[in-house]
Parts: sequence; C-alpha cells; structure tokens
Amino acid sequence: MTDDSKPGGKTRILILDDEPIVCKRLKPAFQKAGYEVEAFTDSASALSRVEETRFDIVITDLKMEGVDGMRFLTRVKELSPDTGVVVITGFATLDTAKESFRKGAFDFVAKPFKLSDILDTVRRIEEKQRQDKGLRAG
Amino acid sequence: MLNLQGIRDMFAFWRPKKPPVPFAVQFKKFEMILTRNNAILELMADMGDKLSGEYVFDGQYIISACERLGDLVFKLISDLSVLTQRKNVDLFLAFESIQHQIEEELAGRHSFPNASLTMPLEDLNRDVSEEAGNKLAHLGDVRNLLGLPTPDGFVITSKAFFDFMAHNDVTRRVEEGLARLDQGALSGSEADEGALDALSRDIRTRILEGEVPRPVAQQIAAMLDVLASRHGRATLFAVRSSAWGEDAEFSFAGQYESVLGVPAVKVLEAYKRVLAGAYSPEVWRYRLHRNYKENETAMAVGCQAMVEAEVSGALYTYAPLAREEDAMVISATWGLGAPVVDGTAETDTYFIDRTPSHAVRSAEIAHKPLRLTALAGGGTGQAEVEPALRDAPCLSPARIQRLAQTAMTIERFYKRPQDVEWSFDAQDVLYILQARPLNMQPRQALSCPDPSMSVVDATRNAEVIFSGRGTVVQHGVAVGKVFVARNDADLAHFPNGAILVTHHTSPRFSRVMRSAQGIITDVGSATGHMSALAREYRVPAVVNTGVATSLLKTGDEITLDTTQNAVFRGAVQELCRFELTSEESFEESAEFRLLRRLLKRIVPLNLVDPHSEQFKASACRTFHDITRWIHEKAVEELIEVSERHWHRSGATQRRLTSAQPLGLMVIDLDSGPVPSPEDRAVSQEELGSVPLCALLDGLNQSGMWSTEPMSVDLGSFMSSFTRTFSSASAAPGKIGRNLAVVSHEYMNLHLRLGYHFNIIDAYIGERVNDNYIYFRFLGGVTDFMRRSRRARCIALILERLDFRVEVHGDLVVGRIKKLPPDRMREKMLVLGGLIGYTRQLDVCLREDEDIDLHAEEFLKRITPLLEVRND
Repeated sequence: MTDDSKPGGKTRILILDDEPIVCKRLKPAFQKAGYEVEAFTDSASALSRVEETRFDIVITDLKMEGVDGMRFLTRVKELSPDTGVVVITGFATLDTAKESFRKGAFDFVAKPFKLSDILDTVRRIEEKQRQDKGLRAG
Repeated sequence: MLNLQGIRDMFAFWRPKKPPVPFAVQFKKFEMILTRNNAILELMADMGDKLSGEYVFDGQYIISACERLGDLVFKLISDLSVLTQRKNVDLFLAFESIQHQIEEELAGRHSFPNASLTMPLEDLNRDVSEEAGNKLAHLGDVRNLLGLPTPDGFVITSKAFFDFMAHNDVTRRVEEGLARLDQGALSGSEADEGALDALSRDIRTRILEGEVPRPVAQQIAAMLDVLASRHGRATLFAVRSSAWGEDAEFSFAGQYESVLGVPAVKVLEAYKRVLAGAYSPEVWRYRLHRNYKENETAMAVGCQAMVEAEVSGALYTYAPLAREEDAMVISATWGLGAPVVDGTAETDTYFIDRTPSHAVRSAEIAHKPLRLTALAGGGTGQAEVEPALRDAPCLSPARIQRLAQTAMTIERFYKRPQDVEWSFDAQDVLYILQARPLNMQPRQALSCPDPSMSVVDATRNAEVIFSGRGTVVQHGVAVGKVFVARNDADLAHFPNGAILVTHHTSPRFSRVMRSAQGIITDVGSATGHMSALAREYRVPAVVNTGVATSLLKTGDEITLDTTQNAVFRGAVQELCRFELTSEESFEESAEFRLLRRLLKRIVPLNLVDPHSEQFKASACRTFHDITRWIHEKAVEELIEVSERHWHRSGATQRRLTSAQPLGLMVIDLDSGPVPSPEDRAVSQEELGSVPLCALLDGLNQSGMWSTEPMSVDLGSFMSSFTRTFSSASAAPGKIGRNLAVVSHEYMNLHLRLGYHFNIIDAYIGERVNDNYIYFRFLGGVTDFMRRSRRARCIALILERLDFRVEVHGDLVVGRIKKLPPDRMREKMLVLGGLIGYTRQLDVCLREDEDIDLHAEEFLKRITPLLEVRND
C-alpha cells in the first residue's frame, strides 16, 4: 500500500455504498467542499483500492450485498489505523452502532441524513487528525 | 340556520337509535385522529424533504417510509369510522386504490397504464417520461401543471416504438449490425464510418417500409378521431420526436426529425419518418460518442395539431452572451417557427430584462419578406409577407411581456434556464410548442472564473434583512419584489414573479403558486398543506419566520436563499445564476424519480375547498386528500355531536360562576363525575381549559361587556339584552342554556347572548398543526340591513386578526389554524372581547360608514390588551 495521501493538501475520501444514489449525492458534495473523492458501489473494488492506497477518511454503509460493511471497516483499520471511518446505515440499531465503534469507527450516521451533517462529521475527523498529528509531532 | 337545525333535530328523533357512544370516548378518538393526522403530515413532509436536495437517502428509506405511511392512513380511517359510527366504504376504497398504485411503483411497475400505445397530452407529466419521452412529458407539465396553452395532441409511446421495431424485425438487425461494427465506429476510421452509414441506410429503409402494428395504428386512429372532433377534419399535425433522454442529459438538439403540416391520413407515414430519424448516421454517431446504450434508444413520437401561427420563434431565458448580463433573448418571425430554429430565416431579435417588468433592452428588426405556413393539403410552404409587415416588428410590447412572463414561469419550475419554442395565433393565444433546458456552462453565465467564489463575495456584501428564522419547506433561490397579501382577496392582484409574503400559510395560495418566485410567512408549519403545494410547484419557501410581514413590505426587492436560509435586500443575481447553473444529477437518479412518482400518489391535495361539491370521500386521490377530508369530518362530527347529543353524552355539567351573566354550563371532559349538586358550580379559576380561560379573560379584561357602544339610539330597548337568553326571544331551538364542552386543550362553546348566537370550536395545544379556532356568529333583532352591517363589521375585525372569514347575510364564520399556542390564546382573548363588544353593536350601525368606524374602535380598544400580554 502506498501512502500518496493529500496531494496538494486535499483530504482524500473513499465512499462505499451499494446504492448508487448515495455515491451520486456524496461525491459531488464533497468535491464541491474541496475534497478528493473516490466512490464505490461494490465492496470488492473498494477493498482492492484500500489495499493499494491510503485514504484519510472512509465513509461506508454497513449492510450491503456481497461484503459486510463491518468486515470492510475492520480491514480498513488494520491497513491504516489513522483513517477515520464514518459508518452510514439505514438499519441503525444500538448494537450495530456499539460494534462499529468498538471496531474503530469514528462516527455513526443514520440514513437518511443531511449533507451538512456528514460534512460536519468529516470536518470533525479532520480536526481530530490534525490534533493527533500535532501531538505526535510534539 | 336555527330553523333548519331544529327540523334536523326533530327528524333525528325518528331515526333508529344507536346506543350513544360516551362523549369522552368520542373525544378521545377525536384527539387520536388529530395525533395521527399530524404524524401523517409530518411523514409526508419528511418524504417530500428528501426531494429538496438537502438529504441523502436510499431505496430502503423509500420502502420503509411508504409502509409506515400506508399503515398510518389506514388507522386514521378506522379512527374516523369509530368516531362517526359509519363504515366509510368510499374512503376505504380510495385508500385501497392509492395503496395498490404505491405497491406497483415500488415493485418497479409504473402504475400509470404502461401498456398504453398512445397517451393524450392531458395525461402527460414528467413522471411518465419513460412512456412519453422527455419532450412531450415536459410539455405535459407545461400544460397540465403550469396551465400554459400547448397545441392539443397525443403521444405515440415508447411502448409503441418497441412494438414497431420488434414487429418489423428491426431490433435484431440493429443489434447484429452494431455487434459487427463493434467499437470500430468509434475509432473514426473511414471504413468503419462507411459501415455505420450503410447500417443506418438499411435500418432506415426497413423502418420506412415497415408496417405499423395493427394495435398501434388503431390507437393512433382513435386519437386522431378525438382531435378531429375537437378541431375539425382538416386539422394538420406536427409529428415530432420525443426520445428517451432527448432534451435531458443529452440535448440531441435539432438532430431528430420533425414533420410539419401532416394531414390525418399521413400521420402513420410521418410517424415512420420520425422513427427512422433516430437512425440517421449523425444522430447515431452522436449517441455512440456519448456512450449511449443502444437499448436506451426509444423514440416516442408526439402528434399535435398545428398552430395557425401568426408569429413564432424561440426564447432563451438566459441570453448566451456575456455582454448581455441577466437578459433573455427572443428570436421571432412571421408564420411558423421552423426557420427560426433552423437558422434559415432572418429574424427579429429582442433582448429583455430577466426581471420584471422585463424591459426591452434592444430590438433588432429584420427584413422579413417570407413566412413559412402550413399548406391546406399538407406540408409547408413559403408565402409572401404583406409589404407593410415585412419591416415591422413582429412582436408588440404586450406580447413581449407575455412571452417573458411565461418563459420565466417555466424556468422557475424547472430551475434551469429554458429554450422555449412558441407561437401566437390570430386569436392572440400564446402556445408553448416546446420547452427544454438550455445547456449553459457555468462560465457562460458568469463573467467570474469561479462561480462559488463570486457567490461568496456577493452574499458577503449584501444586507441581510433576516436569516436563520423559520423552517425551509422548499429549497431554492428567489429574486424578486415582495407582495404582502393580507387576505385571500389580495391574491387576485398578485404580480407575476413576485415573492409572496403573508402572515399565515393557506392552501388557498395554490392560485398564485404558478406565478410566485418564493413564499415567506410569519407563521405556519412545514407539514401544512401550503408547504406541500410549494414543494409540488418547486416554489422556494420559508414558513414561520415570525417577522416576514413586519420587516418586508410590498415592492421591496429582495433575494431569498433557502440554502443559507437568509433574506437579502436587493437582487443578488449571483445566487440565482449559481443555482441555475449548478450540477444536479441527483434529480436524474432512479430513486429520486421513484420517490417523486410515489409522492404523486401521496402528497397532492385535490380536496382544497370544503364547500366544493368535490369535497367527498370518493374524490380522494391521494393520502393527503384522505387526511384532509378526515380532519374536516372529524371536526364537523365533534361539533355536531356536542350540539345535538350533549344531553345524553353522559358528561356532568357544572354552572360557571362568572362576572358576566353568561348562564354557561360547562362539561369538563378532564374532570370526573361531580358527586353532589352543591359542587355543580365552577369558577373560572377552577377551569383548566386553555381556550375557555382565554376567552373569559378577553371578556373580563377588555371591559367590553360593560362598555356602552357609542351613541346607542335605543338605549332603553337595549338594556333588556344585558340579560341572557330567555325563551321568549328569537328563533326556536332547544339550546335553553349556554354550553361549553371543554378539556385542557379543547373548547366547544355555544353561547347565546341577547339575540346573538356564537359558536366557537377550538383546540389549543402545543402541537401547532392541531390548533384551530372555528367561530360562528349569528345575530338578530334589528332590521336586516343593520344585522348585515354588524356581520360585515365583525368580518372586518376578524380579517384584520388573520381569520379566514365568510359572510352570508348576517352569519359570519371565521376560521384560523396552525398558530403557536400563545398566538391562539391571543385570538381567543380577542374573540372574548368581540363577543362582549358586539352584543349591542347592530343598533348603532346606522350607516355603512359606521362599519369601519366601529371596527377601528374595537381594534383600538383591544390592541393595548394584546400588547400588555406580549410584554
């Protein structure tokens, strides 16, 4: 896995959701807000992409056909513990939320959500990542 | 009124008696209906919100929301059945039908008769774009939703296209031919180009020589018969392409075939020509280069009566020229418009302001010796223009105005700049022949290189009148002049393209939805009927701002941007342009379209006017209709029950001890049975009813009860009326005592004072949507003129206090709803004062002029009271 993150200082985001409309909505919204975005509707391609390269932030659905979002989350954290993961799901239960936090998710956003909510979440991750970096540097 | 009631009650005696349902039980049911009604409106609004572009949702959301909604509506009908003790068969049938349509949509089957081979224009809208093709589906919206004239006609659907292609074995040949070509045609090598040309020739020949399947031909003939019966046998038709994707993500502008001046007998031939046009080498290459899948090619074909055009042309709502900022451009010529679109004729060119009053910036008048005209026997031909007209402008200022307003109505709806083809006929009817989005590069519209930066700058420099107030119910940007509507009558003067500012929301605003840029209200909720209308017509709207009518006045130029939820002073055109040019692929997604189609079965409100004959259960076509109808019926039922059956309702009455001799008996639904007769008196302090207390406060604090109205000319006569109703006076009826049925939030009051009879039915709780006051006043004793003057005086006062008012002779009905509880209490307080004030009013209204005088007097006296409370 190469670390070619933040070319030109842009935060890199990967989005995985098997419903194309979610990708269609999120991708341009994040691009407009100045992020570099890759979006996937099948988990196999998304998995091979995270094996290849590091993303600052991953936004993933939990329940998808093919691969379990929880396993995707686990793999992302194994490959790159610093990557901030946001879990988005329509089947929000307390248990799944707890489990995703235990596996290292930064936040849990129930669908449907407002674009401004997810943008805020991502900004909070960036803030935390900056702080962590500051701590490490200090 | 009272007589009728008396007769009704008499007959009620002969009806077979059902065991009475205790009033408390009925009231509980009523409250349950309100709760569920609210939940339904909120869920509908929630689903509607998802179309606004602010939310990210998926298919799963759509399914589960529909399930919940169906469940709620079903239970609501059941609630009503219990309340009214009726089976409501019509209502259940209406529900079943809507529910079935929703299930079909969710299963991926358009519940619109998708097997149709032809569809009349009046059935078309953007939700049937797969059947009708984009062009005609849009035209359907223009005609049926926006209410603009379009040439009468029908569409031969994409289903008919597939049938034709299969019937003549063309589908297979296209597939095989393309497989042979493989991707070669895209490489642009000469050999491949030649092969595509050959394939194109072969396919077009097969189509032109093919046979229109009998069912298709029969349906076309039937449609033509209908048109002939409306417009005559000699009618000529325009037969035009309406392909999938045409005028949408790909414009295919002008590449598809249109055949003009077609007599009915030649429509089938023209139909085949248009189908063949889909396989011309140019258009085929265009599709291949844009990765358009072959199975995405479907050619629906529109067939419309030709307009006998006096003058025609095209209008761009955004002139594609940097030097003409914020202008639209019209090209026009005498006769038919084809030469304008083809660019084969000299045309007059007008540049016009986009904003009302659409001033003409420049007019370039061309020499126009010839005009295109439909020939009686079919086809089109050139004719000479009368010498006097050759160098004359072909559009009058009045027609330019109409064109500009009409085009902006279309643009407002589509939220994209539009390319509109139009004609005026000799009867001065403006026909819209076609409207499609004008593909504008953001930079074309903006002189500044980065549109988002210029928006940031522009909004930073603009004065914010208010922001962050109220609830956004439909997103968008509105730039225009404010029009403050104080009452329904004001709406008649609403200028096209204005921004409606009102105190409250009302479904009656539907009449200005087509011409409003935006809507801002002081009060109202996102779940109200008007909000649903704003979404349907895509009118940017913010409700419940609290300050709109106090900060904005008619004529103010403002910009409303719901994304920032801010109202700016002046026209911030950058915001408008940003919105018109921003990318919005979301609205092309399958989920968006599915949710939209579903909401069509759910949200539109057809039952707007309770007084209309169409206000009936069997007329319910959407869940919203059902909900609205039930709400109305439930309130009616409760009024009726308490009016007629209070004596056997089982509740215990207590007499109110009050400062004024009201003779009021109170049934408090919240209190248990009263044990002994001594306890059967209740003071105002003991009452827990919010509406009743507010009303009594109004009576007491206004001092109106004891105040002599000005210049009483029949003083001694009047003094007898300060006592309560006695059996000797006025019309017969069994209401010998005054009665109030109350709970904490509810009051149903029947109050007769002197000869005046007041009914108030009110609910004031924390949920704004449930709140309402219904006020009815009927009074007598003096001559009819004076009584009706009093009625008009009361109506005037109520209108000034935002009630929706009806006056029939000396009967006044005032309604108000959906205000926050403190505002509702205020209204009750005023009604209390009003009841006191008007007891003797009719005797002093000797002249019509006195009406205003007394209304002013009352408002003058009551206002300080409200101000004190507001502190």
